[in-house]
Amino acid sequence: MAADDKPKVPEQAVQDAREALDEGFFPLEFFNDDDLHELEMERIFGQAWVFVGHESEIPEPGDYARRYIGDDTFIFVRDESGEVNLLFDSCRHRGAKVCRAEQGNTSHFRCPYHGWTYKNNGEAAGIPQKSKAFKELDREEYGLAHVPRLETYEGLVFASLAEEGPTLEEWLGDFKWYFDIHMKLPEGGMEVIGEPHRWVIDANWKTIADNFNGDSYHTAWAHGSVLDLELGGEETVGHAGTGESMDRHIHCDGHTTSIRGFEDEDVFLTYPEEVVADLFTKEGLSEGQWQVARQALSFTGGIFPNFGFLHFGDTTDDPNKDVAPFFTIRKWRPLGPDQMELWSWGLAPKNAPEEFKERMYKMYTSNFGPTGNFEQDDVPIWKGITDVAGGQFASKQGYQLNYQMGLDWMSEMDLDEEWDGPGFAYSENLEEGGMRLFHEQWYEMLAGNAREDAIGVPMNIKEER
Amino acid sequence: MKLSEREDELEQLLVEREVRQFLNYEAELLDERNLHEWFDHVADDISYRMPRRLMHENTAASFSEKGYYFNEDYGSLEARVKRFDSEYAWAERPPTRTERYVTNVVVDEYDDDEVQVTNNLLVYLSRGDSEDHSFYSAKRHDRLRRRDDTFELVDREILLNQTVLSTDNVSIFL
Repeated sequence: MAADDKPKVPEQAVQDAREALDEGFFPLEFFNDDDLHELEMERIFGQAWVFVGHESEIPEPGDYARRYIGDDTFIFVRDESGEVNLLFDSCRHRGAKVCRAEQGNTSHFRCPYHGWTYKNNGEAAGIPQKSKAFKELDREEYGLAHVPRLETYEGLVFASLAEEGPTLEEWLGDFKWYFDIHMKLPEGGMEVIGEPHRWVIDANWKTIADNFNGDSYHTAWAHGSVLDLELGGEETVGHAGTGESMDRHIHCDGHTTSIRGFEDEDVFLTYPEEVVADLFTKEGLSEGQWQVARQALSFTGGIFPNFGFLHFGDTTDDPNKDVAPFFTIRKWRPLGPDQMELWSWGLAPKNAPEEFKERMYKMYTSNFGPTGNFEQDDVPIWKGITDVAGGQFASKQGYQLNYQMGLDWMSEMDLDEEWDGPGFAYSENLEEGGMRLFHEQWYEMLAGNAREDAIGVPMNIKEER
Repeated sequence: MKLSEREDELEQLLVEREVRQFLNYEAELLDERNLHEWFDHVADDISYRMPRRLMHENTAASFSEKGYYFNEDYGSLEARVKRFDSEYAWAERPPTRTERYVTNVVVDEYDDDEVQVTNNLLVYLSRGDSEDHSFYSAKRHDRLRRRDDTFELVDREILLNQTVLSTDNVSIFL
């Protein structure tokens, strides 16, 4: 491709590169490109189901938190009747923001410019001098705009900026089988502790998406310090492909999860016995889901496009203290081709003793978030990828990154035919199919196609099926 | 006023001077990433906390009751210090270059054993070989305990000004 003598047409470049993904290649330059960023905002973040927040963050009527989808600002608010809304934060008169805080509680939002006032369900409640100045204006037509679609799954609220498209149910597909394990295991479900950590880093959002979609290969290396200090067990931090644990990489309806565990052992993510005995319930879970929960030591995963989660057992903040689990969910919000804002929440079983919830939150902050012993070391690496992707060399050389691990000429990747859950379960974690699956969906949506076109059978086993 | 009548004031001045000297010395140890020597000045009953700042409409100084960046005791702080000895602690390879500015030192109260002090901290951070730099700005509430001819840190609350952090990570001590 003579990329240097004509302006690059992003859609053509994307199409050309799509085929290379079948061989396990992805162009480095795609991690930092202005034109692609614009396309991503329009065709991915303007269409996809994007995570907004958990219902437990706004438990009382009037509770609100400011939230973002791509470049757009919304108010995530529980109204007086208890319904959760996502309102576009822009006055219907001149467009000014009507919400000035990151969170709080209010019955009304008032525009500072001319005083137009809205109830916390978005309805217009007051327009100064209306009878003289706007006498024909129908107040009912001038409420704050609701996001086109808002849906909740197990307390997790997602929104889509598109009027039409798959429902959240369809978007998550059978992957709910896996996420149910986290959300339904304890009686009463999970709740968010405190407020999300937020930090802005100079890295492309796809770098962290890669990481959460099954990068078991990096953990022992990038997080070797955690192993050195014994803040996480060998089997938790892990060496891909060499551990004693039972490792599975699962691709399911466009989303992924990596599971480590031990066969025929009651591990339950190292939750303490009393929590397991008092709170964990088979209710709402199938026998297969219960088995996975029972054997699991850790879960990592990604929901396309920008939601990730970690549920880890066997971690500590101090090698002299007992190990405990943590559970975090997160989103990566693109701010530009070379910048994103990370949002990260710590969760705990709602009905667990307060002291244990605090311990879980402590495990989360010690390991993840901006101060986390794991995460501290990830971010500068993602930043480095973005940095080198933005120069001339990567595009002029057509510099390709290698995502071939697990393709059949590189390694034998067996499927676990006995696996009880939906999707495709690889019987080990030394493969990069989750990342290829992520990029396949990225290509399809960027080309304006349905994401579903990418999420059938993993590419390395298409031949045999 | 006679000098003898100003003894209390003199004593307070001396305490303030001692505290300032200690905080400056501590800043120097941290700037030099002399973390083990810094940790020698940490009391074994330390509580080291950095709560998450909230942005509310009606107040400038609101902090989360449950959310924080740091909530460390002696063991967890020691683990963080030791982690940076690992050759895999990539966040600090190469080390962040920092300069700490400790100002507005006010001794709130003191007795023979301990001093309660409020101070402001500005940290300049520079990383890698780029011109990029960043800052943390915070108010600190510290309690220092006398030990021989120096102090040890017993309690520190770090009240950062940012709600959304603008650094890759927090891989330094504040």
